[in-house]
Amino acid sequence: MSAIDELATELSRLPGIGRKTALRLTYHLLRQPPEQSRRLADALGGLSDRVHRCSVCANLTEGDPCDICGDARRDKAVVCVVEEASDIGAIERAGEFRGVYHVLGGRLSPLDGVGPEDLNVDRLVERVAPGTVREVIIATNPSLEGEATALYVQRQLATHVPMISRIARGIPVGGDLEYADGVTIAQALSARREM
Amino acid sequence: MPLVETDAIVLHVFDYSETSRILRLATRDAGLQSVLARGARRSKSRFGSALDLFAEGAAQLQLKDGRDLQTLASFDVTRSRSELGEDMGRFVGASALAELVLRFSGADDVSVALFEALADAMDNLAAAQHAVAMEATLSGAWRLVAEMGFAPSIDSCASCHALIDAAGDLPFSHTAGGVLCERCARLYPGGRRLPLDARRAIADWSQGRRLADCDERAAKAHQRLLREFLQEHLADGRPLRAFDAWEQGALVAR
Repeated sequence: MSAIDELATELSRLPGIGRKTALRLTYHLLRQPPEQSRRLADALGGLSDRVHRCSVCANLTEGDPCDICGDARRDKAVVCVVEEASDIGAIERAGEFRGVYHVLGGRLSPLDGVGPEDLNVDRLVERVAPGTVREVIIATNPSLEGEATALYVQRQLATHVPMISRIARGIPVGGDLEYADGVTIAQALSARREM
Repeated sequence: MPLVETDAIVLHVFDYSETSRILRLATRDAGLQSVLARGARRSKSRFGSALDLFAEGAAQLQLKDGRDLQTLASFDVTRSRSELGEDMGRFVGASALAELVLRFSGADDVSVALFEALADAMDNLAAAQHAVAMEATLSGAWRLVAEMGFAPSIDSCASCHALIDAAGDLPFSHTAGGVLCERCARLYPGGRRLPLDARRAIADWSQGRRLADCDERAAKAHQRLLREFLQEHLADGRPLRAFDAWEQGALVAR
């Protein structure tokens, strides 16, 4: 296999990249100065060497524990449970949450063969079992599989944590009620809060 | 590129690229379809928030011959079936039903009757209390098997077709495809014996009727029987992952 085909094959394994895009990226790299390709190769090589899972929350990190778990200013008694490490970035960008996280590493999906044993739930139970956590916020995606995962996690934690909450669902900020679908409006109404 | 409007049920969902999803749909008029829903993961998606697993709605598909992946132009949800995610028994049961259709109905073999059987099965399961979720799944599964043309013979011998009217246990052979008269049973060694109420249950379920009473032990026995039947008549050697999760019951128990 030629070097061009080899790189295109590897790139086309990435999500959202088909054969044509992989070839386009390959030819783009060939048009660049060789140093740029080397920098990319070094960055890719260093990724698996330097990045690993935090031993506390399973976030992706270069240190252990991760910056969030190691931050003394964060409230360790409030744990936000997310499906993937990338979800942490989304919540951190909002700047509202000052607790810590726990990454499940996916969501329950019988159709894809993903069961409880594939998720990082046992570690979460170990983490909250000593009784130092006062609230767990379950922030799995608001999809049917995300809801089932939230229900499963809630059941596992129920005897260990005084308060288990679920992130709210409803009309997005900046959205228009007129254009919201019926399911979203129904969710927003059922999760309404007193003013 | 022809635009086809049809009712559809979402059987499987995959995230694709940054904002899109690939859906596997059972449709009333266009068989099984894999479609790309561009932008479906955005919070202000034109598909709305309810385009999710097991949802049913009016779909507009842009179909092009020779393509494996078609384009979803719109999907107006009529039933979101979010209740299926609110109970583990319902969730794993619905996944097993979806897997049956995905794996064992051919791309062009989703008849109107099979589509309606699937819609009924999902509705029944969505409305089922936790205690009867397994019975609702069994009922839906046997009806789907029947609509696919594999209903077991219950009232007549699967081998010689003689009518059987027996109150006691009868031999049941997966290979033969149903119950056997005592004479033919000698030709099919190694089957099970099914009591009358188990035979009645399968007959009722295959016709879309529900049982008023089915205890856990009987339901477990029916799960095993259904698995053996599927392995004999439909299985292609690949594991049935959702069916396994449903049969093992680990999600429901914990």
